[in-house]
Amino acid sequence: MGEVKFFFGPNHPGMNGNFSVHLYVEGDTVVKARPIPGFLHRGFEKLMERRLWFQNMALIPRICVPEPDINEICYSMAIEKIAKIDVPERAQWIRMIVLELARMANHFMSFPGIGGPLGLYTGPNWGVADRDRILDIFEALTGARVYHMYIIPGGVRKDMTPKIEDLIQKTIDYIESRLPDYENLIFKNRIVHTRLKGKIILTREQALEMGVTGVGLRATGVPYDIRKVDPYLFYDKVDFEVPTATEGDAFSRVYLKFLEIPQSIKIIRQALEKMPAGKVNVRISEGSALRYRVPKGYAYVHVESSRGEYGYFMVSDGGEKPYRVAVRGASYPQGLYGIEKYMPGTRIEDVPVWLATMDVCAPEIDR
Amino acid sequence: MTSSMNEVIEKIRRQFKDVSITETDEREVKIDALQENVLGILSILKNEGFSHLSLLTCVDWIENKEFELVYILFSWKDGGKIIVSTRIDRENPKFVTVKHMWPVARFYEREIHEFFGVEFEGNDDMKPLILELWDDIPPLRKDFDPLEYSRKKFPDREYKKDVLQEARIFRGETNG
Amino acid sequence: MKQRSVWEWIADQLRSRSMWMLHYCTGCGAIELPPSMTARFDMERFGINPMATPRQADIFLITGYLSTKTLRRVIYTYEQMPDPKYVIGFGSCTINGGIYYDSYATINRLDLYIPVDLYIAGCMPRPEAIFEAFTTLMEMIRKGEANGWKRYKENYEWYKKNQLRSLGEVYVHDEFHE
Repeated sequence: MGEVKFFFGPNHPGMNGNFSVHLYVEGDTVVKARPIPGFLHRGFEKLMERRLWFQNMALIPRICVPEPDINEICYSMAIEKIAKIDVPERAQWIRMIVLELARMANHFMSFPGIGGPLGLYTGPNWGVADRDRILDIFEALTGARVYHMYIIPGGVRKDMTPKIEDLIQKTIDYIESRLPDYENLIFKNRIVHTRLKGKIILTREQALEMGVTGVGLRATGVPYDIRKVDPYLFYDKVDFEVPTATEGDAFSRVYLKFLEIPQSIKIIRQALEKMPAGKVNVRISEGSALRYRVPKGYAYVHVESSRGEYGYFMVSDGGEKPYRVAVRGASYPQGLYGIEKYMPGTRIEDVPVWLATMDVCAPEIDR
Repeated sequence: MTSSMNEVIEKIRRQFKDVSITETDEREVKIDALQENVLGILSILKNEGFSHLSLLTCVDWIENKEFELVYILFSWKDGGKIIVSTRIDRENPKFVTVKHMWPVARFYEREIHEFFGVEFEGNDDMKPLILELWDDIPPLRKDFDPLEYSRKKFPDREYKKDVLQEARIFRGETNG
Repeated sequence: MKQRSVWEWIADQLRSRSMWMLHYCTGCGAIELPPSMTARFDMERFGINPMATPRQADIFLITGYLSTKTLRRVIYTYEQMPDPKYVIGFGSCTINGGIYYDSYATINRLDLYIPVDLYIAGCMPRPEAIFEAFTTLMEMIRKGEANGWKRYKENYEWYKKNQLRSLGEVYVHDEFHE
């Protein structure tokens, strides 16, 4: 049989985001695969050097579209690290709540979203509708559904009122009551087992050699989570577990995302109890915020996003604008090196499942 | 610094002269080294537990006429971050590749070649990754002006200024 | 533009009540499309459904900014859609460049390259704004004002000149097409 080449291109319903893969296929099995990134390139690293330190706050949430809060927390933590600023305690707890809600919102799009390539369309319908309730919390707290611009260097923008705390409690109680329904629909389904169990296996050596982080690494048996190994904010003061699995196949990666949601709910409940009263932001510039200057220095900050390790490397030379900001996207290893080396050998109908379970998110590769 | 980071830093200080070490935080250390010593330092660090390459990037210092290559390593055992950086010449930028130690570095180096113009010996896969049909100097260098490029190639929308209407809004007679 | 005949008037009334949207997420505005398609803000009650191929779609929704690499594929896709076809520009990046006005990789004005019938302002627009745009587009079709496809055919050289000035070359040269 000869080799047929076709492209799993940017305009495809099985592709999440604007990303393209060229496939060389013999029969039904993929023999060679080439990723083509660059459709969403805006030149962020150059644009950030041309705006003042505070003007960048409006620009950076747009780097990672499904989960924008990780950009804001990394930028703020990098400035606080270089300039040695102390953030008030209440602000750190509110930041933790916002990050865990963003993680839950992203998980609700990804594990029911596996129903898209598999044909189980009830999954995305339920998942996106439940995610909308979390976006309602964000709208009450920050004013916008998708791009919040809420976490700033020095704290958060506005305080959380008791009415919003009530709304959060009610929403997470409702979500907790819906989790058994999701388990029955997706994870006890015989067709999902046939399509996902035992496929697309990633061993521990392969994952560590590639540099995969997040769920892809925890599905091979090691509990490597940045919140436990290199804690930031107050993650060392709350009590939660990190679920792991041993098989390393596609089913366990999707199931681990489902198991992380009760842990996030536990963290949010503990944070709401332990939060003290007080100020939520500290003024970091002595005059106008538009003339703020950060002292010279280098810093690298990373957080655990829902896809893996997401980091910012920042260089400041004492001026009004950043000198260099480099972004490390969480899906950079899997999206580029993983597709070239590990996609050959799968069948054509498993290519969208590969991309969905290995968390390839296009905007953070292109920036 | 954590205890294992202390041991590793002592080992490096004994073996290599001309390294300068700054401590930013209790879990982050920056090492500035010369070009010849970088591969040696990276292999020592990789064997001592700092086996995860988080990022490989480049900074353009245009007044000193240098590029600075930055390698960021992370250890899963105790959570320490080490930043290794070196300076190379800006007129003729060349360096060796590290893709035999970390295979992902192939793509980081391809991107640095596209955006800064740095040549990497040993890595021959230098096709453009993100840009297509680019016709100007590498974009992330400091002497490239994106606003002028954008005005030349992508025309803007012109807005006509209506002074009387703006005066009415200012006086409060109509809403904007 | 000549007046519509009776048959075209009837066809426009029927066409406006069952339009199919091309499912191509070109930019960051696409994150608000799953909420509009699923159960909370339901798009199917207006007769609008996502469709996979451009040969069977009516509306092309350009969600957000366009980099030059995407613009070449968008022009291919637009020329593959059969007449009549409608384009909606979504977000402020299609109007005047938005927050990326000084970027070397994104375009500033969309209607220099393909004809646009309707713009939605916002960054990003809510699902309720998307529905208002769809109902306005349906009114425009019924009145006969949504004529972007006719403008493209009549002013083809002008559009091509703009495309070549900004893109250099519209034909895609990568290892697949060689």
